[in-house]
Amino acid sequence: MSDYTVVGQKVPRVDAIEKVTGTAQYGADVHPAGMLYGKIVRSKHAHANILSIDTSEAEKLPGVRAIVTQADVQSGRRVFATDKVLYLGEPLAAVAATDADIAEEAAELVHIEYEVLPVVQDVMEAIKPSAPRLHGDATKDGPNRRGIAAQIRKLSRDKETDHGDELRALEAALEKYPDEVYYNISAESHSEAGDVEQGFADSDIVVEDTYVIPRVHQTYMEPHVSVASADSSGKVTVWASTQGPFAIRSGIAGTLGIPLTQVNVIGTTMGGGFGGRFGVIITHVPAVLLSQKTGRPVRVQMTREEEFLDGRPAPGCVIKLKTGATNDGRILARQALAFWDSGSVSGASIGSTIRVRGVYKIPNLKVDAYGVHTNKSGTAAYRAPGAPQAIFAGESQLDEIARRIGMDTVEFRLKNMREEGDEVPAGGSEPRVGYKETLQAVADAAGWWGREKDENQGWGVAVGDWTNGCGPGGVYVSVHEDGSVRIFHGSMDITGTDTSISQIIAEILTVPYENVTITRGDTDSAPYSTGSGGSVVTFTMGNTAKLAAEDTHRRILELASERLNANVDNLELREGAVHIITADPPKSISLGELAAYSLSTTGGPIVGKGSFARQPSTPALAAQIAKVEVDPGTGRTRVLKLVASQDVGFAINPMTVEGQIEGGTVQGYAWAMMEEMQYNEAGNVNPGFVDYRVPTSADLPTVESVIVEVPAPNGPYGAKGVGEPPITPTLATMANAVCDAVGIRVNELPIKPEKVVNALRSNGH
Amino acid sequence: MAKLPVTLTVNGDEYDLLIEPRKTLLAVLRDTLGLTGTKEGCSTGDCGACTVIVDGRAVTSCMVLGVTAAGKAITTVEGLAVDGELHPVQQAFIDTGGYQCGFCTPGFIVASKALLDENPNRTEEEFRHALGGNICRCTGYTKILEAVMQAAEEVQATA
Repeated sequence: MSDYTVVGQKVPRVDAIEKVTGTAQYGADVHPAGMLYGKIVRSKHAHANILSIDTSEAEKLPGVRAIVTQADVQSGRRVFATDKVLYLGEPLAAVAATDADIAEEAAELVHIEYEVLPVVQDVMEAIKPSAPRLHGDATKDGPNRRGIAAQIRKLSRDKETDHGDELRALEAALEKYPDEVYYNISAESHSEAGDVEQGFADSDIVVEDTYVIPRVHQTYMEPHVSVASADSSGKVTVWASTQGPFAIRSGIAGTLGIPLTQVNVIGTTMGGGFGGRFGVIITHVPAVLLSQKTGRPVRVQMTREEEFLDGRPAPGCVIKLKTGATNDGRILARQALAFWDSGSVSGASIGSTIRVRGVYKIPNLKVDAYGVHTNKSGTAAYRAPGAPQAIFAGESQLDEIARRIGMDTVEFRLKNMREEGDEVPAGGSEPRVGYKETLQAVADAAGWWGREKDENQGWGVAVGDWTNGCGPGGVYVSVHEDGSVRIFHGSMDITGTDTSISQIIAEILTVPYENVTITRGDTDSAPYSTGSGGSVVTFTMGNTAKLAAEDTHRRILELASERLNANVDNLELREGAVHIITADPPKSISLGELAAYSLSTTGGPIVGKGSFARQPSTPALAAQIAKVEVDPGTGRTRVLKLVASQDVGFAINPMTVEGQIEGGTVQGYAWAMMEEMQYNEAGNVNPGFVDYRVPTSADLPTVESVIVEVPAPNGPYGAKGVGEPPITPTLATMANAVCDAVGIRVNELPIKPEKVVNALRSNGH
Repeated sequence: MAKLPVTLTVNGDEYDLLIEPRKTLLAVLRDTLGLTGTKEGCSTGDCGACTVIVDGRAVTSCMVLGVTAAGKAITTVEGLAVDGELHPVQQAFIDTGGYQCGFCTPGFIVASKALLDENPNRTEEEFRHALGGNICRCTGYTKILEAVMQAAEEVQATA
């Protein structure tokens, strides 16, 4: 295959020893001398006016050192609720004490007087005029009213012609859609290509369904934590468990009104993130406020229960989807109307509704999406934010159409998949991506074409697409007099990225992987780096590492040219030494000797640097097939086989790439079958692992992963981001498999046994 | 709260401690002894991140009061490598890529060691069920099971 010796290899990770011996330092393992323990005081109601906050009794508890409320936030930026709470668990104050148990006791002694208000948790209720208003009375128009209102605005602007009759007709038309005045809207997003009405009219078959996807928690195993230390000069140091130390630095500086250079963020080893570890005020800002007030370091660590109440999970949503196709299997039109549950603040990934277009040629597409306020915490990213939800709807409905027109569901997808140069509905033109190769690979690996099944068994397939993000990054490389290489950068390792960066640099400098050490600096010392989210790291930092290594390579040859008195064009770096290719007898100098020469002539080691801002990314596809068996008596679904393929561009470390595919697929499985944050008037009612079940090893068989490599033009060695795509198709893969097994199409996730049993019963079983 | 005098034996070392009766073994290991390899993932005994071995049995240390562990032999992840040589389970987690973020890894490694000590001759399916008390959110368990099977072979070969 390739001539590479380090990239493309399954080398052990750079952090292997510390991870298996327990010495890796996570956020809660940081314990500076004199540290106090912080605890956040939280609302006990999902919606209430705050009449008073009385901290006097808590302050008297021995061991309590400080209590902070919004009054302590001099910048005025909102950290704690003051007059109103919008969800159960919303922060109202924070306590610091000499012991964790004392802090918890003190938090209970802060007396809050509430005036309880009506609660709304269901997005379809929240948009109605009868719903309690979370943020005032502003409304937004639904898709039909929006279209009519736009025409009215246009005609009204034309002062030269009298449009009186038309305007009156349009006003009357508006009246036909009284239900389309939506309340509690946090955001909206709309896109359109072609003419969907015409597309549906031309279709032989039109299928319309409503899909309901629950709110789920990223459930990283390490709860949010930060340790803050503010000194008397105003300098703030924060040990933060975060995906983005630089984002946390600017977040803290902005929230508290202090200069960036007075905030140093030290990223601690991250116990999982999945997009949910970028929050600034969840623990970091309260820890800083408590440290500023006490003059001592303070650790604020969330419990698992607090994670469920006040983490920032993935939004649930309701998607009404309509698709039209011809009997010979061409998709002609698709229309979506989505309501995303953004909780108490805006921020749900409503723009991802566009992903209902999938990777198919759909000439006519219309997407209208709304974010809706409810009495829940806000949301954040979770592994391809918004895509699993939209793709669940899209791929379930495609499956249904294929079944109804009697076409193999893989053939149907292959027939409609976009190819290089095809128009992307509402989004430019398609680059070269291994869509068909990836689907074919999973079908071949799973034995799709010769598949067999017994009674109550079924096969399901689905695909999901995602494109990695990109952002600024910097890497420094230095070569030392023993020939060893040090890499210095500021991006958080997200399950193996430091290893990939090290592999790239070892490859280019032709040194053994073991001779490379990678060090992450804090925000005071390291070059700026974008956050480790959006599958950016291998793409961004991989490119940056390549540039830094190439710069170092260039510098090595310059030094060697000087030292060996030879023309650079006649020099070659291989196996850790520079050789004069024209010399006979052979002549060379090792990297160590060159580094020593550099030290004595330039005053330092051989240094190279790379920085990277942005390059266009290329989409990736994940394709999955599941074989399941459903017990019609209990409704329980057992997975017999789960195969996942993915176009990764190029696998810099196939071991860690497989790990991403396997892990993402199981998270998708869990969203389909098990997980759901449940809410009622009281708030979240399942804030723990007994009632919010995540999969264990006993729930699943081995996930078989298949790597497909269609290089990305701008990726390092052709690599694409691999972390996010594998979660995107699994929700639909599972639903399609259950449908194939027992003929029940569950459109409301998760597919819990009782739903299957009830559906079978109502079908006469 | 009044503290009680307790002698704990952790990884072969004896510690004379004064601890509050309400402190869990997990809190004592982490906060008092500074043995932070054992992780706190839920504090309700449901995730297994805090698994340690007490008198040969894997237990979730967040569910044990520190004072009740007096006189018992406690092994944490810090106690598995001998003279710098990794335990076969630790090596297997490296070789197979059985960890990602690593937060659940000490719990998995300690739980696996207890299972291997008890009986390494199990099928993959049996290990899958036996490890059902530990949650990993990153790996999807495929490579964890590969690691445990590799370690089981290694342990049986050298037994």
